[in-house]
Amino acid sequence: MILSPEILTILILNAIFALFGTVAFVLSVRIFLKWDANATTKTQYALEKQSYLAATIVKYIFAIKVPLFLFFIFTLDKISNVLTGAMCGAGVVDATDYGNYLFVLKIINLYIFAYWIVLHNEDVKHENQPYTKLKFGFFIVAFFLFIGEIILEGIMFGAIDLEEMVSCCGTIYSSSAGSYMAQIFAIGNTTLVSIFYLNYLLITLFFFLKRRYLYSVANLLFIVISIVTLITFFGTYIYELPSHHCAFCYLQSDYYYVGYLIYALLFLGTFYGLVTGFIETDAKNRLRNYKISFAFNTLYVILLSLYPIIFYIKNGVWL
Amino acid sequence: MIQLRDVTKIYELNKNDSVTALADVNLDIKEGELVVLKGASGSGKSSILSIIAALSKPTSGEVLVDGKKISKLLDNFASVYRRDNIGFIFQKYNLVPTLSVRDNILLPLVPLNLEESVAQEKLNVVMKLFAIEHKESAIVKNLSGGEQQRVAIARANVNSPKIILADEPTANLDEKLSLAFIEILRELKSLGKTIVIATHDPLFFGLDFVDREIEVHNGKILL
Repeated sequence: MILSPEILTILILNAIFALFGTVAFVLSVRIFLKWDANATTKTQYALEKQSYLAATIVKYIFAIKVPLFLFFIFTLDKISNVLTGAMCGAGVVDATDYGNYLFVLKIINLYIFAYWIVLHNEDVKHENQPYTKLKFGFFIVAFFLFIGEIILEGIMFGAIDLEEMVSCCGTIYSSSAGSYMAQIFAIGNTTLVSIFYLNYLLITLFFFLKRRYLYSVANLLFIVISIVTLITFFGTYIYELPSHHCAFCYLQSDYYYVGYLIYALLFLGTFYGLVTGFIETDAKNRLRNYKISFAFNTLYVILLSLYPIIFYIKNGVWL
Repeated sequence: MIQLRDVTKIYELNKNDSVTALADVNLDIKEGELVVLKGASGSGKSSILSIIAALSKPTSGEVLVDGKKISKLLDNFASVYRRDNIGFIFQKYNLVPTLSVRDNILLPLVPLNLEESVAQEKLNVVMKLFAIEHKESAIVKNLSGGEQQRVAIARANVNSPKIILADEPTANLDEKLSLAFIEILRELKSLGKTIVIATHDPLFFGLDFVDREIEVHNGKILL
């Protein structure tokens, strides 16, 4: 068990989230079961007030969850200093059996909450609130993932053993046999990078053709492919080390915290890409979502592509 | 134009105590009609106005204005509805005391982002109509009660609303000023506005241009 001020902050905020999230959950169940937009009964007016309260709670939780996610990464980095063997957040994530699941769950929840907010904003734009039942039904499902994340986070911090030596990112992301990354490395950089640019080309194509469902699917794939190529290929040019494949080190000051920018661009680009397909909105808003998504995805691709290009210009060789 | 259907309004004071301000109220007001709601304090007159203005929601029942269910509007839509349709004259005027007459009257136009010349024209029209143009630059807190009321009326009309609601508009005025206000009402009625006044002032009873007087008692309309 480790209880640094940062971890205590996260645990206290999680307790507050769990409390208010439960209130929003109870209200959501009630709204989901009894909502009738056309009714003018006492129950319906009460539900309308409660929906306002529940939506406000979820919005505030999300508003804090975004910076808290960054704070979580910062915390992982910070406590890596006291874990023997850890060089960055990757070592902390790998220190217990729960770290990787927690990290994936946190990213999924971030997308889910952001989706909920967009759904909510779309809902309150219409007088008849067409998405109220859907958004609270969606929150009922999201709540379990949200509570799962809180529990997992508590378990993970509780399971960290300061006496135990952990792996550094060099081992975790190594291409050596036995590592779970080995299978990905076996595909080869040429293939992976080709898939990455092909995926971006598809995004560009569907953007100009305005094929919203295909655009969303291409963005969904882009999340996975981008992270894989970032670790296997582009990251090595950020570190300027051919054998260093860490997904965390570029979040550190040594690399000017460029990782935060990279992940923010990827999140915003793919999130708005998913929104174009999954949320019914008017043509003007859909075009806006397309543009935001395409702009961030393009910036992401340009940023990543510049690292190997600049390296080649400076050194005349590829890594 | 305005329809209240089985409107009930209950104010919850705490978990075990509540006040029923309106109980199953049904009311129809036609376009261009001037209706006086009369009744003692606490009878429910103000609650009716508040619900028509979408300032509060009924506990049950519905309110339709021009066929639109305004009782179920979200806050953002309710604000737009009020901005476009309602001019509200409050008992205590609810002016901003430190602003000038001009700035107070122009307040409802701020969200519209009108060109200055258009806003000025609207301002001039209402200031002239309600005889307050000579006080354009005066600070509201320095005005008399009657002048403040004329500013409040001008503000309620600057957006050319279809509906004027007035809650005890003469409660703070002497008889002379109250009669002047009644003349203003006559003017507004001639402009085709739909007007609902909540009052217990006897000066409003039996006026020739009032279409209906409705008695409200204990949250119910007496027929």
